[in-house]
This record gives sequence, C-alpha cells and structure tokens, in this order.
Amino acid sequence: MRNFLIFLLLATSLVAKEAYKLGEGMQVQELPLYLGGYISLDYKSSQTEDRYRINDLALLAYGNHNKFSYVAELEAKEFYTKRYRTEADNSTYNGKLYVERVYINYTFNENYQLQIGKYNSPVGLWNLYPINVFRETTSSPASTFIIYPKYTTGLLASYQSFGDGELSIDLMLQHNEDVDHEYNNYEIDKHYGFGVSYQIDDYSVKLNGGHFHKVNLGTLEDELYYVLVSAKYETDTYQVLSELGKQRSNDKVTTNYAGYIQGLYRLTQKYSGVVRVEAIDDRVNKINEELIIFGVTYRPLYPVAIKGEYRFHSQNKLNQSLISLSVLF
Amino acid sequence: MVGVLKIIVSSLLVSSLSLASEYVVIANKNMKNISKAQIKAIFLKKITVIDETNVVPLSLQARDSLRMKFEKDVLRMSFTRLKTHWTKQHYKGLRPPISMQSQQSILAFVKKVEGAIGYINADNLDADVKVIYRWED
Repeated sequence: MRNFLIFLLLATSLVAKEAYKLGEGMQVQELPLYLGGYISLDYKSSQTEDRYRINDLALLAYGNHNKFSYVAELEAKEFYTKRYRTEADNSTYNGKLYVERVYINYTFNENYQLQIGKYNSPVGLWNLYPINVFRETTSSPASTFIIYPKYTTGLLASYQSFGDGELSIDLMLQHNEDVDHEYNNYEIDKHYGFGVSYQIDDYSVKLNGGHFHKVNLGTLEDELYYVLVSAKYETDTYQVLSELGKQRSNDKVTTNYAGYIQGLYRLTQKYSGVVRVEAIDDRVNKINEELIIFGVTYRPLYPVAIKGEYRFHSQNKLNQSLISLSVLF
Repeated sequence: MVGVLKIIVSSLLVSSLSLASEYVVIANKNMKNISKAQIKAIFLKKITVIDETNVVPLSLQARDSLRMKFEKDVLRMSFTRLKTHWTKQHYKGLRPPISMQSQQSILAFVKKVEGAIGYINADNLDADVKVIYRWED
C-alpha cells in the first residue's frame, strides 16, 4: 500500500498537460501516459450481519504509441472492512495491491488486433465493464462470476468489421498460470474461449463458449466447459440486458443454468431505476434459487454513482440491502 | 384556390431546400474510401488504424453547433450517451477525439497529417482534402 501512495503522490506531483476532468484521467506532461483510478465504498445489511467496506481502490495507467497501446491496473481489494452483528464484531485491513489488468495491444489494421497480458475476459456484456461505477447495481449477477473465468492471462486475438452492423470475434488463449490469481474468480492455468457478437442500431447479441482448467487443489471438477448467450437493447431512456450461461465438467453438469434479465429506466439524466430477475442452479455450491432486485442510482455526474438496492431471495433469510458510492477518477 | 396553394407549397419547399446546409466529413488525401459505419467507429475509437496508418479523429469544442449536428446525424448518439461512452473508454485505455478550436484548424490539420479525419461546413471545403461523407440538415 505504501508503494501505491508513493506512486500516487509522484504521479499527481507531475504537471498535467490539460485541465483535469473527473472520469477522464489526466495525461502526464507530453508522455504517452494517462493516469486515473476508481474507488468503491459499500454497505450491506442482511439478517446475519452489517458490513461496511472500502472495497476497491484502484490506479489505472495507460497510453499508446503508434499501433501499440497498454493498460495497467493495480487494485487494493477489500481495503478496509468492518462487520457488525457477526459472532465477533471485527474489522480487517488489506493493503496488498493486486494486478487486476496489465496488457499490451497491437492493432494491425481496422479489422485485426492482438493483445497479450492479463485482461478482462470478453465474455458476455457485463464483464466488459465490471467495476461498480459502471454497473447499474452494486451487486453483480451470479452468472458473471460462476460460469467463466473473469480474467485471462495470455493472448486475445480480435476481429471486427463494420457493415450495416458491427461484427466482432474474439479468441482467448491462456496456457500458463495467472498473473496474480488472487483477483480471479477461478485460479486457472488454461483458458481457451471464443466470442462472437453482432451489434446493429440499439441491439446487441453475443455468444461465448470455452474451456478452462482449475488448479485449486482439492476440487474434484477441474476441467470445465461453459457457454453463455447475452443480449442487450439500449436507447437513451431504456436498457434491457440479459445473460444466460451453463457450465459442465467432463462427466457432469456443474451449473445447470445461471442467468438474469435486467431492465433499466432513466428517469432523468441523473436518476435511474433498475429491476433484475436472476435464476441460478449451481450444483457445485448447491445453490438453487431465484431472486429479484430493485435498485435506484443517482449520478450527479456520470463518473459518480450513488446506488441503493434491495435483494429479495427465494430463500428469505438471504434477503439483503446494499448501498454504495463509487467514483471514477 | 388549389392552384394558389400548390404554388405556395412549392415555393416553401424550394426555399427550404435552398436554406439546407451541407456538411462534409473530410480526411487527408491519402485516406482510402470508408463507409459511414466506419466513420462512426473511428470517432468512437473502435477503429484506430486504417490500413497501415493510425487514424486521428478531430472534433470541435463540446458545445459547438456543428459538433452537435455531427453527433446527432452521423454518430446518432446523444450527448449523455457519448459522455457515458467516453467514461467507459477511459477504463479501457482510450481517449476521446482531439477537440479543435475551429473548422479552419480542422481543415489545416487534415491537410497536413496522414490519417486525420474531421468534419466541417461544406462552404469551408477546399481541394486539398478528401471528402468521404456528405450530409445535410
């Protein structure tokens, strides 16, 4: 954490080239280096505990030169947590910085790109912008963290073409250990995945599939296969987003289904309301339930989100409310 | 009476057509022909290289009336949606197009820099740039 603060002090002591705007980062002098970051604070209240967290404290650095570009992101996860009403009230502090993303991208032409490093797996639509400030709810649907590895360390080859609509094809390849596995929902040493998406006007559809190998000792099902379909309709006022996925191992179904449909209505430029219905049949963790989430978001500026939500679970004892403040710098 | 109405309507149509303003998306002379969908992708930074050349999209200042027309007619996105787009692109390591002070500065930049692309009023056009898209009010 000390290194993080030193880096932050150094970076901000350098003269920015342009006036700083919230949510857009700043360029460091004339260098191909932009700095930014984000923070997320949340509060959860359930039947068993109340919890306050400074959950994400992240620093972003990126830039480009000719056809090369890079992104690096360091993050302190669950930086500070305070729990009440548990068996013993406690607070924890975790100052360790994790590498959330670090990659170099090379663009060949208008159609082809190649990326190497650790990156958000381009699976589904939610996982493309997974941080709190971009999400419409503080919580994320189960399908975004039980079906596929959220991060991949390796190669990403992409193809895109622009006709009447936008066609994109992604190929993910990991055949090595993760860079900093602490930050992945699965610790993996293999991930071969594909994605095909098509966007026209306000509509997007996407299909993903893949295979990954878990390295956690003590887990029986380590060779896993997944498929996920996603769709989105978005206008200036409405957004409907849905994903549905399935996962299996070599000999049995591990997640029969995990999916959601979420509707968003922008009441004004600053206020929006959201409803999400989720259904999960996770046979590894023995979770079979449905839930509905009601939420509201207030954005005084787009890079600042103040959100509240209530989660009604089919198992009532899991009901909970969440409030969060997140800011992108 | 019907004949008089026809004349009035025709006159109004002709006068409204003659008042229509024409705008052009211009690029450096070396830029190949590109589609409207590709222009949109360039200004959203979904395309950053054309053939072997880095593309440099140029915009006008945030509240410029021509910029607002371009965003509405060519990008087909509201100011709020574009703001959302660029905030998300910051997370992905991409920056918005460079904002220029005037159409004259866009014209001068496009003439000099290979890969540059911008938009101006057709009245300001000259022969040293390539027109890749035209639209009217």
